[in-house]
Amino acid sequence: MLPIRLSKDSREPIYHQIEKQLKALIAGGHLAAGTPLPSIRALSKDLEISVITIRRAYQDLEAQGFIETAHGKGTFVKEIQGTVKEETMTASVRAEFERAIQNAMDYDYTAVEIKAVFEEILEKLGKGE
Amino acid sequence: MPAWIEIKDARKNVDDFQLGPVNLEIEAGTITALVGTNGSGKSTLLKLMMNLANMDGGMIRILGKPVDGGDESWKRHITFQPQKQIGWNAYTGNELKNLIAPLYVKWDDKLFEHITGLFDIPLNKRFGKLSPGMQQKLSLALALPRKTDILILDEPTASLDIPSKKLFMDLLVDWMEPEDRAVVLATHQPDDLRKLADYLFLMQDGQGIGLYEKDVLTSSYRRYWLTEMPADSVPGELSRDGRQLISQNPDATEQFIVAQNIQVLDDQALELEDIISLLLK
Repeated sequence: MLPIRLSKDSREPIYHQIEKQLKALIAGGHLAAGTPLPSIRALSKDLEISVITIRRAYQDLEAQGFIETAHGKGTFVKEIQGTVKEETMTASVRAEFERAIQNAMDYDYTAVEIKAVFEEILEKLGKGE
Repeated sequence: MPAWIEIKDARKNVDDFQLGPVNLEIEAGTITALVGTNGSGKSTLLKLMMNLANMDGGMIRILGKPVDGGDESWKRHITFQPQKQIGWNAYTGNELKNLIAPLYVKWDDKLFEHITGLFDIPLNKRFGKLSPGMQQKLSLALALPRKTDILILDEPTASLDIPSKKLFMDLLVDWMEPEDRAVVLATHQPDDLRKLADYLFLMQDGQGIGLYEKDVLTSSYRRYWLTEMPADSVPGELSRDGRQLISQNPDATEQFIVAQNIQVLDDQALELEDIISLLLK
């Protein structure tokens, strides 16, 4: 079973959540090239989502070169290029920062306050290493 | 490709009860759940599909063939598991298998053995002497190995214990792996809907309320807790209770709330059971 966790309360479309998390698993090296993915029907049962949505996510990921389907054999993780890997990671990290900063701005934080929070958290997490 | 099951304006009168006109199409590769309150007409509709009752109007085609057209060759491509098996009581599991298996060219004996082993089904006992749960397990063991294009199940998990329900789901998911098969399932079990269904066909008082893609349905409803409730009706509003609002059009609702300068304290998706209850109210 894949470590995919969907948020049904989120307004982000489910197929998008699946795509994003699978991309992160592939670009982060957690799913190596050649790894078989669950069938559409099996993933549909595990995630409690219709095959229509799973198929859409798989088709998008295939079009973007992250996975490939071999007829009669199933779906597999594709070898992705270093640049794609990096772009995916950068995009994912940037998106998370954007969300966090937007959240702070919604609470009327100033740029200086946001930077202070950032420094504080970076310091705290950095010590954990 | 034409739909595998095509139901057009199908009607049936039974005493005071009137079914239909029902319209529904089932495509290959999908699991469709028939959902409705007791007596909504699900079982009657399934009987019409199997030509076990005569229609009073309309048309049903299975794999392109009208079910009441005299040529019953389509029956070899479809498996129907009713709530109660008629005429099985006097036979043991082994005898039933020997009667059924030769009728289906794709009969899969390994799968039959796998299922009977999995559920620990006594094959030497008469069907009528088995518990309701065991009868249901044996029915499944005699249904899935036929490997027909279409499988129709009338409340297949109603009598199953929790571990067996889980096994049933895994078996059905495996059975659906070849993507050219279709399942129609009448069920009251929320887990069947969540884990198996792609489409939900809702029925009430003999009428089809609508065919819904499951994920579209779950994303179409939302519950909001607001800092204040507008006096007038909100776009998409389905119901309100204090400062809690249920919307069937989250986009329109949120647009309006933002424009009114109202804050959303919290919002969440509705459970599938809640949505079904709202639609069948």
